[in-house]
Amino acid sequence: MLKDVTFGQYYPAQSFAHSLDPRLKILMLIAYIVALFVAKTFYGLALCALFVVAAVFISRVPFGSVLRSVKGILFLLIFTALLNLFLHTGEHLLVEWGIIHIYLEGVLFAVFLMFRLIFLVLGSALLTLTTTPVSLTDGLESLLKPLKYIKFPVHALALIMSIALRFIPTLMDETNRIISAQKARGADFETGNLVKRVKAIIPILIPLLISAFRRAEELGDAMDARCYTNSPNRTKYKKLVFGWRDAVAALVAALLIAGVVLFNVYAYDICPAIYSYVVML
Amino acid sequence: MSNLPEAENTPAAEDFTALSFKNVKFWYPESQAPAVNGVSFSVKKGEFVSVIGHNGSGKSTLARLICGLLEADEGSINVWGIELAGQKNLFEVRRHTGIVFQNPDNQMVASIVEDDVAFGPENLGVEREEIGRRIEQSLAAVGMSEYRHATPTRLSDGQKQRIAVAGVLAIRPDILILDESTAMLDPKGRREVIEVVRRLNREEGMTILLITHFMEEALLAERTIVMNRGEIVMQGTPQDIFENGEALLTYNLDLPEITRIADMLRSRGIDTPPCLRPEELAASISACAAARGLTSLSSPRVSPDEGAKSGDWDIDIRDLTFTYSAGSPFASQALKGIDLHIGEGEFFGIIGHTGSGKSTLIQHLNALIKLPQANKKYKPKKPAKGQNPPVMPRLTVGRYNLADKKCDFLSLRADVGMVFQYPEYQLFAESVFEDVAFGLKNFNKGLSPEEVKERVYAAVRAVGLDPAEICEKSPFDLSGGQKRRVAIAGVIVTRPKILILDEPAAGLDPLGKREIMELLHSLHSEWCKTVIIVSHDMDEIACNCTRACVVSEGRIFDCATPHDLFARYDELLSLGLDVPLTAKLCRILKEDGIDIDCDYTPQGFVSAVAAAFEGGERRA
Repeated sequence: MLKDVTFGQYYPAQSFAHSLDPRLKILMLIAYIVALFVAKTFYGLALCALFVVAAVFISRVPFGSVLRSVKGILFLLIFTALLNLFLHTGEHLLVEWGIIHIYLEGVLFAVFLMFRLIFLVLGSALLTLTTTPVSLTDGLESLLKPLKYIKFPVHALALIMSIALRFIPTLMDETNRIISAQKARGADFETGNLVKRVKAIIPILIPLLISAFRRAEELGDAMDARCYTNSPNRTKYKKLVFGWRDAVAALVAALLIAGVVLFNVYAYDICPAIYSYVVML
Repeated sequence: MSNLPEAENTPAAEDFTALSFKNVKFWYPESQAPAVNGVSFSVKKGEFVSVIGHNGSGKSTLARLICGLLEADEGSINVWGIELAGQKNLFEVRRHTGIVFQNPDNQMVASIVEDDVAFGPENLGVEREEIGRRIEQSLAAVGMSEYRHATPTRLSDGQKQRIAVAGVLAIRPDILILDESTAMLDPKGRREVIEVVRRLNREEGMTILLITHFMEEALLAERTIVMNRGEIVMQGTPQDIFENGEALLTYNLDLPEITRIADMLRSRGIDTPPCLRPEELAASISACAAARGLTSLSSPRVSPDEGAKSGDWDIDIRDLTFTYSAGSPFASQALKGIDLHIGEGEFFGIIGHTGSGKSTLIQHLNALIKLPQANKKYKPKKPAKGQNPPVMPRLTVGRYNLADKKCDFLSLRADVGMVFQYPEYQLFAESVFEDVAFGLKNFNKGLSPEEVKERVYAAVRAVGLDPAEICEKSPFDLSGGQKRRVAIAGVIVTRPKILILDEPAAGLDPLGKREIMELLHSLHSEWCKTVIIVSHDMDEIACNCTRACVVSEGRIFDCATPHDLFARYDELLSLGLDVPLTAKLCRILKEDGIDIDCDYTPQGFVSAVAAAFEGGERRA
């Protein structure tokens, strides 16, 4: 039953990573992404790798679950790698075959970009694996709060996200029920050409839309009856509290960026012999 | 509320008028007749008032007028001393009223219980610590404290509805309105919600306005208001209202079952005064026996069960098990070994709680859920050495073997029609004709337009509608009852041999329920061989089914005639299920030394009681 499965890819566990403040986790992810893009060297990349592997270890999410997220960008990975392999020029020619020239620099650069993408996805996946959609929403709302001074409806946006999250399982249930009902009336969703399959969706889509509108109307009434207003005097029960764990994590994130920058600056001093194979940008 | 601090402006006077309507009229846009037509009534503080009326009588409109979700066109509405006029006092009025709607899913804004309960106080600008206290108190008041951090979608409907009540209580309303809040719940969920409402009224002195279709619920009130076509037509104690059965019939309401039984008993010479509770009726039957000097009465035994019928369209289920999300951390076993035989020609009932596995069971019958070995990719596993091969489920429906990969599942679905709960929600086509024809065209691709027309018209006629009048209309322009009939026509149009209906009467008013059951009987005799209904309503099962089974926690508790099944009333009650009214009566009478054996239909019960009296008199 769909409703028994938590929406999203949240992996329930008790860990340091799970208990962190969602705002901090979002900020850490941003810091980590910045670090990934600031890093010009394999040293920096290795530091990011160390960070994300340590984070996965701390989160108690099985490595397999985290790695699965890479599957989704497999095509993009291969495409980027091949493109750079063939187009990047350098000094050390490895293969020459007709119009195809592959240089050592090209291979290294392709590998560099691939790892950057993989680490990017791993980090983001880790955030969604250790944070429920609800607390992600809370975190985003809290982070966006300053925007209300430029009249941006932060609260309304947060409420919209919260309601959307709340109704996803309900509507998935409903979709399944409608599919079953139409199947029982001989509807066929599995065979036929594209046009036929698109047409087959109509008997699902229309009842689903009508139901969604009906639910929206009823929800609107229920919210009105519970005194809903969009006034600034609204209070918020849930308050995110910053604890010592969060301070530790913030420090680690700051160290990560500092480390990456240091590697960028002092890459030559570490080992001059391999300098040109380590620095990519 | 006693344990909660009173709102600052709550007047303390005992005879304070909590709510009053003066000659209120309301029209929905584009409708000729007013939905509420000159209604005047008032409710005192702490009073428990129930409102009954057929679908469309205006009772829900009434509720919406009170909390200002609709604005009256004429007349005046006063809520807790505040005159509701336009948008002016809207917010003030809503602080004093709380309303719980029908569909528990459509009232929740958050994915965590405490966040949802916090929504109301947040809107009122209550400070954080106080919101925390209110969440605690509100959840305690509905008995859901331990679910504070739970996800509402994983709760039962009854629990969800109690969360909805808690969400409303957190606003600290003075008047609680329930707009058919129990209509979508199973009997257990209904009892849970009603228990909460009664306690709030008794212990906290909450003013309650309970809008309902269920007579047993309306009875709990101190006063009942009857609505018909937008007007209040009767008002008084539930006793006065329900004892005046003739009047109720003229307002498109059904007589309560108990009144009907008491009337029948009177016509058989057993003088039972009108009453509303099974205990009272049983007591007056006993008193009647005692007055005639009759002791230890017993009715003739009902002839034993003739056993299940059989024919070409039997259903045979053996060792059926099913697990949702098998192999994942969310796996849950819905069926734990079902053996069941349903014979051709039966009117079969399936009883069970929400989540008992009955929906999973019926979806196997037309292969919406296939047996594992019928899936294309299935390969039998070799059993480990020294172990017996696993027992595979078997399932045959007529000539179809559902365990066979090569079974023609499409024609199976044409022969086994399935009507889901609230089937009207699956209508989609531009016209009734197109919608009804949808299944027919899917199953029989080669039909000529004339044949299609002929068969669609026949199906529409079979569900009691006039094809000439209705076929060109949009299904969305029909009334609720008509929509349901059209949806049923869309299933029976293929002339299925077996028709399965999940809660066919859910959400209908009593008269609508009776009409649907009559429709099913006419389909059973003229259209399909076997009818299978899934129902919570035990009286419905007792009155209509030849046999029934009880599914509990993925197993068959019992499968028998209503006579044999409901004789086990104590066990059924301990499973948390309901029993028919007649079974309740038999149970009480037995304690008084009157042993009634009957098929648990009202007629059967009355005849058995009459026979017991005659037998007793002959002996005397």
